[in-house]
Amino acid sequence: MSTVNEKIAGQIQQIATQLLESKEVALFLGYTQGTVPGAMQPFVARDVEDAKRLSWSSFCVVNLANYLPGLLRSLEPPRRPNEPPPEGPLPKVGVVATGCWSRNMVVQIQENQIDRERVVIVGVPSRGMVDRRKLQESVGQREITSIQEDDNSLLIRGNGFEKVINRWDVIRDNCQTCVHPDPVIYDRLVGSLSGDRNIPDRFRQVEEIEALSVEERWNWFQEEISSCIRCYACRNVCPLCYCPTCFVDDSRPQWVGKSKEQVDTALFHIVRAYHCAGRCTDCGSCESVCPMGIKMRLFTRKLQKDCLELFDFEPGLDPDIPLPLTTYSTSDPEDFILTQIRKGDEK
Amino acid sequence: MDRPKGSVLVVGGGISGVQAALDLADSGFFVHLVEKSSAIGGSMSQLDKTFPTNDCSACILSPKLVEAGRHLNINLLTLSEVLDIQGGPGHMKVRIRKNPRYVDTEKCIACGTCAEKCPKKVPNEFDLGLGTRKAIYLRYPQAVPLKYAIDPEACIYLNKPGRCGFCKKVCPSGAINFDDRPEEMTLEVGSVILALGFRPYDPSALDFTGYKNFKNVVTSMEFERLLSPSGPCMGHMERPSDKSEPQRIAWLQCVGSRDINRACHGYCSSVCCMYAIKQAVIAKEHSKSGNLQSSIFFMDMRTHGKGFEAYYDRAREEGIRFKRARVHTVLPAKDDNLVLRYSNEAGELIDEEFDLVVLSVGLETDPEVIRLCHDLDIELDQDNFVATSPFSPVATSKPGIFVCGAISEPKDIPQSVMEASAAACGAGGMLHEARWTQTKKKEFPPERNVYSEPPRIGVFVCSCGINIASVVDVNEVTEYARKLPGVVFAQNNLFTCSQDTINQMAETIKKERLNRVVVASCTPRTHEPLFQETLREAGINKFLFEMANIRDQDSWVHQKWPEKATEKAKDLVRMAVAKVRGDEPLPYNHVPVTKKALVIGAGVAGMVSALSLAEQGFPVCLVERKEILGGHARKFYRTWHGRVMKEYLEELIKRVESNPNIDLELGTTIEDVSGSVGRFKTTLSNGKNVEHGVAIVAVGAESFKPRSGPWNYLYGKNPNVHTLLELDQRFIKDDEGLKGLKQAAFIHCVGSRVPERPYCSRVCCTHAIDQALKLKELNPDMDIFMLYRDIRTYGKREHLYQEAREKGIVFIRYDLEHLPEVWDDDGKIVIEVEDQIIGKRVRLHPELLVLASAVRPRDDVGELSKLFKCAMTEEGFLLEAHMKLRPVDFATDGVYLAGLCHYPKPVEETIAQAQAAASRAAMVLSRDSVPAESITAEVNPMKCTGCAVCTKVCAYHAVVMDGKTGKAVVDTGMCKGCGACVAACRSDAITLKNLGNEQIMAAVEAAMESW
Amino acid sequence: MEKAMGENWEPKIIAFLCNWCSYAGADLAGVSRYQYPPSIRIVRVPCSGRVSPNLILDALRSGADGVLVSGCHPGDCHYISGNLYARRRFALLERFLEFIGIEPGRVNFSWVSASEGEQFAEVVQEVTERVRKLGPAKKLVKEITICPR
Repeated sequence: MSTVNEKIAGQIQQIATQLLESKEVALFLGYTQGTVPGAMQPFVARDVEDAKRLSWSSFCVVNLANYLPGLLRSLEPPRRPNEPPPEGPLPKVGVVATGCWSRNMVVQIQENQIDRERVVIVGVPSRGMVDRRKLQESVGQREITSIQEDDNSLLIRGNGFEKVINRWDVIRDNCQTCVHPDPVIYDRLVGSLSGDRNIPDRFRQVEEIEALSVEERWNWFQEEISSCIRCYACRNVCPLCYCPTCFVDDSRPQWVGKSKEQVDTALFHIVRAYHCAGRCTDCGSCESVCPMGIKMRLFTRKLQKDCLELFDFEPGLDPDIPLPLTTYSTSDPEDFILTQIRKGDEK
Repeated sequence: MDRPKGSVLVVGGGISGVQAALDLADSGFFVHLVEKSSAIGGSMSQLDKTFPTNDCSACILSPKLVEAGRHLNINLLTLSEVLDIQGGPGHMKVRIRKNPRYVDTEKCIACGTCAEKCPKKVPNEFDLGLGTRKAIYLRYPQAVPLKYAIDPEACIYLNKPGRCGFCKKVCPSGAINFDDRPEEMTLEVGSVILALGFRPYDPSALDFTGYKNFKNVVTSMEFERLLSPSGPCMGHMERPSDKSEPQRIAWLQCVGSRDINRACHGYCSSVCCMYAIKQAVIAKEHSKSGNLQSSIFFMDMRTHGKGFEAYYDRAREEGIRFKRARVHTVLPAKDDNLVLRYSNEAGELIDEEFDLVVLSVGLETDPEVIRLCHDLDIELDQDNFVATSPFSPVATSKPGIFVCGAISEPKDIPQSVMEASAAACGAGGMLHEARWTQTKKKEFPPERNVYSEPPRIGVFVCSCGINIASVVDVNEVTEYARKLPGVVFAQNNLFTCSQDTINQMAETIKKERLNRVVVASCTPRTHEPLFQETLREAGINKFLFEMANIRDQDSWVHQKWPEKATEKAKDLVRMAVAKVRGDEPLPYNHVPVTKKALVIGAGVAGMVSALSLAEQGFPVCLVERKEILGGHARKFYRTWHGRVMKEYLEELIKRVESNPNIDLELGTTIEDVSGSVGRFKTTLSNGKNVEHGVAIVAVGAESFKPRSGPWNYLYGKNPNVHTLLELDQRFIKDDEGLKGLKQAAFIHCVGSRVPERPYCSRVCCTHAIDQALKLKELNPDMDIFMLYRDIRTYGKREHLYQEAREKGIVFIRYDLEHLPEVWDDDGKIVIEVEDQIIGKRVRLHPELLVLASAVRPRDDVGELSKLFKCAMTEEGFLLEAHMKLRPVDFATDGVYLAGLCHYPKPVEETIAQAQAAASRAAMVLSRDSVPAESITAEVNPMKCTGCAVCTKVCAYHAVVMDGKTGKAVVDTGMCKGCGACVAACRSDAITLKNLGNEQIMAAVEAAMESW
Repeated sequence: MEKAMGENWEPKIIAFLCNWCSYAGADLAGVSRYQYPPSIRIVRVPCSGRVSPNLILDALRSGADGVLVSGCHPGDCHYISGNLYARRRFALLERFLEFIGIEPGRVNFSWVSASEGEQFAEVVQEVTERVRKLGPAKKLVKEITICPR
């Protein structure tokens, strides 16, 4: 009996093989086994042989959408900035997409970063991915030498120990609170759709912060970012961060100092999060790759919550619904506008 | 005959006069704008908000006034009156008296010191006497020209020389001139436009209203001032007797309108229903308690304009009470309250108490205007409005003299603005040969290239007399400025804006080789253009300039803190210097104009527009989807004035077909449109490509045919059930069968003012009543029943309603809850309807049933609006750029609209709108190029990600994605420089010239430095 | 960067005002001589829609004790819809800054029309009082600006 993930891996291989063999796609973007136990790494299959290396597990934490624009561009003939794009259809890319990755691709389509016609999306309803930190904590600081996955549990082995843990207990926060685990757009489907999940307290972590006093919130924020080494791994892994010159690297204008001064680090995190406002699909890649364990998802999560509350908007569900900061409604909330507050007070 | 004069006299500085002046001055004519009072703005400047958008009246009006005030080709003559006009079209001599202002407008800086010191208080006529002003006064805070004037009747000095004279003593610029005397002058012009407006009806003579007897009975105009933030109670809505906030307000409609017995005004004033609803809504917003009860007592609710019915619906939802009753008497009650006595629909007498009563007074012509018209031999109608014909709605009986606005009939602002442009079209059309012959053009020396120079900044610090200097230490500020980086020259002036200082500034720029200038004085909103012009005169680009507002936003608002105000002034100067350092010379952008118009739709609107332009010498391509000209008017029998349509239409078609400037493209539609103002390219369905500078959309509308559904009423099932236009066909054909009819019935509002079509179709009440009268002409014994909801015979059309009642036509009111029931009894029509007044069901057996069905937008208008990037209303009519002040423009520059595609309207309004559209189009076509914004957005392709967020937030479609590069590009001809794209761009790839992030950051940083 | 906290402390507030409504409203406050505290430094921008969150953050980083952004009332925007996009941006920013511990009242937004001179003065009064209560801004202030005094 193979596990769910093994079945998924098999089907991905099968579909990738077929797509590559029939030349429907030139490349297939998926995951393969990494070198560290349990680690998975993004992988581009170029032919049928490569396709055999495609795999799937609960450790696919990096959003593949991040690589998609680059891969598509790599398949275009090189041209000067003002040269028109070549005539005729361009080669396509196949890609695996869970719920949040597919929603991310919807945003990328809306922002002209990928051409829907050139991607073949293999949808995989997500069962949640593992948080490596949670996993490590469950075994203390001991080194893990192998991880064996079952459908609902993980068997962890190390030097002189062996432990079975409940899989769900070590799933990432973003996956635990995810309400749209199914892919939104796809051309092939692996497994069956599980439907939206109902999680009444999906924003609980944000609400806990909101409940604090101003000074407590400031202290939390300062504490959270204090370990930041400005390595920008969170930015680099984010499919929404695709500016040729990032605001942190720009010197004209210089929004953020390049030092490690706390103010500049704070501004980096504020602006980074704000740039994701109304676009972030909470894929959790940023947090998963942070070497310092900064929980920066809480920042984007707050904005996500507000977009929902203020504009009734969740990104990536429908390419035809404009992104919240590219549109407006005449009845948008304005209870924060001073003159409106005063009007209310007078009444 | 000599070439006509290339100048026009516009009489009346209200919104319609100002609009006519601007249209003409911008299309090649010199304009003399004569205004009786000390400032232009007219009645609109007195209003608080405007319906149906609730825009702040002063806010939307002000920019137009400022534009007119500064226009090189508008000669503003305030405090002036027309004495006499001689001559005819093209050659007229006008005698004008200019009354003394006693204040030199060249010197007055509007600091207000004079009024502060003036000891004489008089009732302020701008506030209708509710507040006071001084004998030296500014008509209102945003007055244009922003110059004080002395009221000679109130002034102590002028009446008893030797006494008072304080103003002269305190005036810091020596502007007071007690020796000012009236002047008479004669102007030679080609044409005259009278835009003398109206005056609000004075209800003093109507005893029952209690006006003048009871303090808390006010007119609607007075209430407008009570609501206004610049009014006598600063917008706090206090009632006159005790300054308390009223909790119960009643509006009495039709005071001085629709009243031949007491007020001698048989006409409807058209605007009062809407302004009453607006006031009720705004009053509710103003109410601090939030429990204001607003009641409107009316006869028929006339919300017949675009967006009006929805406004009415919303007002009811918001709890405004509408009571259909005519009030007998207003009686005094305790605490200065008032009791209204009225009879309800059951005929019972009711007494109801209110805190404040607002009389919705009508509009009438000022007796002085009547006298002037008599003197000029201009025909007036029975109501003393200027008589016009439906087919030439802005022409008077006197050739060469045109009218616009409420002088010819009570009307709202958009209609007045529309007519203003139409009158400009009339005058311009007559004088087109003389275009640009009398206009002035400013010439400037070539500009010095300053790119390679390091900043050499000059700072001019103004004392503004003592306006700044009495609070801010200007010497300290000047010395401080001198030390700022990049500053090579600093100087303090008493009045920087005085002519000699301006001349000296130009010399200094040249002598010191300044390449950036900062003026620290008043507000750039009024003075930036003046100083920028000085830069140009001194040979440097006008965008190398900044102002530090150390008067309006410093010395005037921090009078008690001179030290802090001085510190702030230094900060403001430092900020301006930091900003100006980054300023670059910008191009004075222009877009060349293809001198051709495209007119879409060859109904009356399209043909009138096309002809108006063609007759001025502009080539026109007139596109019509059908194979024949004429559109809906072909089916239309006569106007409500009794003028037969066919004769006019045939003549119009002949003129269009024979005009060599008009290319007719029949059986043709629009396939594709590209480009923008001045340079459109349109592909027609016949494969032809048209290059044109402007476009006028006049595609009309459709008549709603209720073939099924709730408004069917046997339509299409019984041969004797017609729509209005179908009955017109029978009139056109002289159908003998109509004469023998014994009984006819009309049902109003068929498919209008209903949930699926919530607007009023405006034309049907009048059309139906006119048809009923026509039937009466054919057979005076015919019994005719009109089943209506509200009769909306606005303006002079009310006389028709009056006549119909006199002739025995029976009006039965129904409402949506009690619709008439119509059924077929063996081929005969039976109607049953509940008469709301007698409360009984009435059964009718008409041999003819006419359905006054809705005018509905055409389904294909959406396609067209997309091609031209124009907006539509929810109902599917085309949406103009601004409901109030730009009624024929689209938000897309160079595209205009006219006729039924805008909203249902009668033929005279369609013609006026078509002429207005032509006038607006001529403003573009008369020039070789049109100016475009200089401060525009600019894309850095190296930073652009192509995410297109900028294209989505641009309201002007000025940013588009380049299909080739996948990067955003800005069309500088279309960009207005708002910067929405800049703020939306995450990648800093798009910036605003001279207003980029770095420059704003430099100013912000400079603001923080001293602390 | 000594910021004296006391009776006499005058906060410095950067006010981004749109040219067509709020800047004109500020002028009208002057014309009508409505007095308000000398705390604000006005930066004239074409439209409230020109003001990005970055500019607001930059003002704080430069040491502003408070920020005010004021535009035309919804529906009155000279550029049709700039203030409506701004309203969305600001709604998110305001909540976000509070979330990370920036005191409510540091960053303020208002609608002031060209005819609301008195209202403008009231807004400045109110914002100044709010900021005064909070004291000098310390969070997000970049402490390296060279100070002439």
